[in-house]
Amino acid sequence: MMGGVLAPTEGTVWIDGINIALDPAAAKRRIGFIPDRPYLYEKLTGMEFMRFSADLYGLKDVNFPQRARQLLNQFSLDGWADKLIEAYSHGMKQRLIFSAALLHEPTVVIVDEPMVGLDPAGIRLVKEILRGLADGGTTIFMSTHTLEIAEDICDRIGIIQEGKLIALGTTADLKRAARSQEADLEEIFLALTGGKNLP
Amino acid sequence: MRNVISLLMPRLWSFRNSLLKGDSRDRWVRLTLFGSIGLLFWGGTFAIFFRVLTYFQSVEGFGDILANKLLSMVIMTFFALLIFSSIVTSLSKFYLSRDLVLVHSLPVTPGKIFLARWIETTIDSSWMVIVYSLPVFLSYGVVYKAGPFYYGILSLAILPLCLIASGISALFVVLTALLLPAGRLRTVFVLFGFSIFVVLLIAFRLMRPEQLVNPDAFASLVLYFKSLETPSSALLPTTWVYDSIRAALTGSPERTFFHLGLSWSFSFALIYTTTWLAGKAYFQGYSKSQTSQERLFKSRVFSGSRENILLRFLSGPTRALITKEVKTFYRDQTQWPQVFLIVALIAVYLYNFSVLPLEQTPIKTVYLQNIISFLNMGLSAFVLTAVAARFVFPAVSIEGDAFWIVKSAPVSIRIFLWIKFFVYYLPLLALAEILIVLTNILLQVTPFMMGLSVITIFLMVPGVVAMGVGLGAIYPDFQSENPAQSVTSFGGLLFMILCAFFIGAVIILEAGPVYQLFMADLHGRSLSTLQWIWVIVSFSAVIVLCALALLIPMRIGARRLAE
Repeated sequence: MMGGVLAPTEGTVWIDGINIALDPAAAKRRIGFIPDRPYLYEKLTGMEFMRFSADLYGLKDVNFPQRARQLLNQFSLDGWADKLIEAYSHGMKQRLIFSAALLHEPTVVIVDEPMVGLDPAGIRLVKEILRGLADGGTTIFMSTHTLEIAEDICDRIGIIQEGKLIALGTTADLKRAARSQEADLEEIFLALTGGKNLP
Repeated sequence: MRNVISLLMPRLWSFRNSLLKGDSRDRWVRLTLFGSIGLLFWGGTFAIFFRVLTYFQSVEGFGDILANKLLSMVIMTFFALLIFSSIVTSLSKFYLSRDLVLVHSLPVTPGKIFLARWIETTIDSSWMVIVYSLPVFLSYGVVYKAGPFYYGILSLAILPLCLIASGISALFVVLTALLLPAGRLRTVFVLFGFSIFVVLLIAFRLMRPEQLVNPDAFASLVLYFKSLETPSSALLPTTWVYDSIRAALTGSPERTFFHLGLSWSFSFALIYTTTWLAGKAYFQGYSKSQTSQERLFKSRVFSGSRENILLRFLSGPTRALITKEVKTFYRDQTQWPQVFLIVALIAVYLYNFSVLPLEQTPIKTVYLQNIISFLNMGLSAFVLTAVAARFVFPAVSIEGDAFWIVKSAPVSIRIFLWIKFFVYYLPLLALAEILIVLTNILLQVTPFMMGLSVITIFLMVPGVVAMGVGLGAIYPDFQSENPAQSVTSFGGLLFMILCAFFIGAVIILEAGPVYQLFMADLHGRSLSTLQWIWVIVSFSAVIVLCALALLIPMRIGARRLAE
């Protein structure tokens, strides 16, 4: 919904001060959206997909080649740039989506289950990149069921249960809310949600 | 056997759920639409065969020979259709379906997986052939006044034909998949199948079958068939099926059951052998298909600079979407055979105009040429509709699971649809105009008719393309494994019907005024004020209609897709 893929039934989504319902194109131009499943145009090459994203998001032609190469290199895809996406593995497609989403230097990154399909090296890389972007002032909005990752890299954590936000704050805030200073995020989560498994 | 039934259950449950889902009114509309069109084809097939067989009966001495020859040819054609359809279906069911990964992870032997998939393949590839073969066999029953025995035997005779075709195809596919990965195999078969169809189509057309209405030519055809009255090979399954139907038609139970026995015993033997062999070979081929690339020909990957020079004057999003659309299209090798087929059909269409025997008709040639030219506007628009149904209607569905990219991109759905529109509009406009200009040159029409045709087609093409894009957006199918087939869906049929109404309305609106203008031009007289008003009102109505056909589907499509 925040990525503009679904319309909200009520409420308003503000992205960097822009109401996404009123000016979706301007809001989306500030977003780097990374879904959990890496569906792409299989008949394009990695570099063509980068070019496609650059054109869509209005990246200047002069900046494109260097920025695209740098990102593909960063995500270990430089050797695959001119191969068709249909030949990529699941993890490679996921890394390509990351590269394309960061191409236009978004102010907000919305990422759903970022580590699905990534190998340990890929997971570490993504963690470092997300942490680095956040430190540089980019807002990272991540949804995940992997609590260790949330604990590792998030500054603020929200817990949603049955569509309602039941807790929001730093890990320390959540520990206070769960009245347990020693517990890890998993225990806090179970305590706050009443030990229920989320559907 | 329990495992095989369990493997088939998801398909049955999905079918049941798809019947139950949605509101009942919508379901009734779909059922009525599909039912009516199906019934129309069914009734049409029956009427044509009934007429032909009645005509054959009137040919002294040769009636039965011709009817038998036709029956044998029909069975042979059905068998060939069944084989082709089974090969394409079994390739997809055995090797390419998305659920195969799950199915192969289950504690079931590959032999049982094969058997369950084979049953599905047989039903999927045969049901339509059975349904549309019935009016043919019924017409034989009616014309030859057959008793209940014939009708009872029919199903027993057709069923083994389907089982044998499906068995042979499955055996062939399983063995070939050991040598070549299934993805490439599909491209080879589709290319091969379409090539044969194109060759047969062109060969049939070059034979000029219209000459057969000439009594002299028909007499020599009868003699030709007489000379072909030799029996077919006794080893062919089609011969057994033909013989059993023929024997049932003439009321000879012994011969009927003997030939039925041959068909059924061969079917069972084939199923047993195929299942046994597949138990040994299927999994190897499947495994190979999962680890090899699908492409038959190596793709050429160009650097982006050349296209960018051509599209530089466009905005970034427009350039991005156009480049993506064009590259995705030409790199998808399954599209190629259909492009070849369309080129062949258009060549035959043009050839038809070059051999029209206009001078042999009693109507004055100048009238006839221009009447045909006028009707040709409608015909060309129908050709365009068929091409649009195959390429434009699935244009939105073809985005598939990657549609999230468009939804999350800073481009509105309205702009996305308009870009789709222009990507298809320009080539289709060129195609339609070339078609109409060439046919008019072949017909040697007046400059007035030439101008009218060019302008009318120019006005109609946007409407047809917009209806394709718009209805494709109203009824998208992002889950389909083969979006090209979405033309047979409810939305696809609705598109065809609406286009038919649109083209019909334009032709009807223009017919009266064009006749007045043409006759006035021919006789060198001027039109009355009333006639001029009629002409202006009619042509204005055509322009309004074309504008509505362009704007309304695009608007509704954008709204529905954004939801």
